[in-house]
Amino acid sequence: MDALILFSHGSVLCGAGEAVDAHAERLRARGDFARVEVGYLNYSEPRFLDAVATVAQAGATRVVVAPYFLVAGYFVQVDLPRCLAEARERYPDIEFVVADALRRDAGLADALLDAAQRARPAEHWRDPLARATASCGARPECPLYATPACPRVPSPPLDGRVPATVNAE
Amino acid sequence: MTATPSTTALLVMVHGSPRPVANEDMFRVVDDLRARPDAQARFPIVEVGFMECNEPTIPEAIDRCVRSGATRVVAVPYFLHTGTHVCDDLPTLLEEAQARHPDVEFLLGDYIGLSPRLTDLLAARAHAAAR
Repeated sequence: MDALILFSHGSVLCGAGEAVDAHAERLRARGDFARVEVGYLNYSEPRFLDAVATVAQAGATRVVVAPYFLVAGYFVQVDLPRCLAEARERYPDIEFVVADALRRDAGLADALLDAAQRARPAEHWRDPLARATASCGARPECPLYATPACPRVPSPPLDGRVPATVNAE
Repeated sequence: MTATPSTTALLVMVHGSPRPVANEDMFRVVDDLRARPDAQARFPIVEVGFMECNEPTIPEAIDRCVRSGATRVVAVPYFLHTGTHVCDDLPTLLEEAQARHPDVEFLLGDYIGLSPRLTDLLAARAHAAAR
């Protein structure tokens, strides 16, 4: 059984996964791979090895790893092989193959033109921020945490009192 | 209403890298785009601007668009993820540009990571590896 893992960097920002999650969902809908998971290098969950565990438990015999990176830089050339070596050691019966990073392709020009199609005026320029706050996890490492944009943890009031709702989840 | 024909520029907003070689693929993608008749019809002007490390900066690239006669600038972040650049820094740069060029219409597109065209590319990359 073939599985696909989208290898992504990860982020401390709540909601940063909206794009890669949408790709994974569309790839599931296409049905070319029996399982499609996202596996992160840093910060976000699930980490790459957890994603490998998920597809291994689902019965994957081959895992295609597609880097969700524009550039085949350090993360793709150094960190990914390190993660893969560990995955191969844990799952010697699974075959792992690695796809090319996005790099150069007519599809990227298509994506630019497609993204330009949804160009909007100034009142919508911070819509991604609104969507990010909609998936707030109240994580202290998020750059929005306890700022006015954070929907779950109020920013410290002007009198300097520590807000009672702060908790390290 | 004026009868002046509008000229739309595409501004590709790129993060930038201390390793200039990291921008080579992006430059080729933009060159490919410039060569496409469908893109030329929509965007007679195409400029790249960098947030960090490389030149031209985004404000410089915007000024180039305006000097080339753009009456409308459509900015597209060449970013895969939502982050503080997409959420805040890039909108701020566009707001500053709007203040500098009040007669130019500025629009902000999706960051490219949101495009389903990238799902197609991911599928193509995965299938090429699985062959």
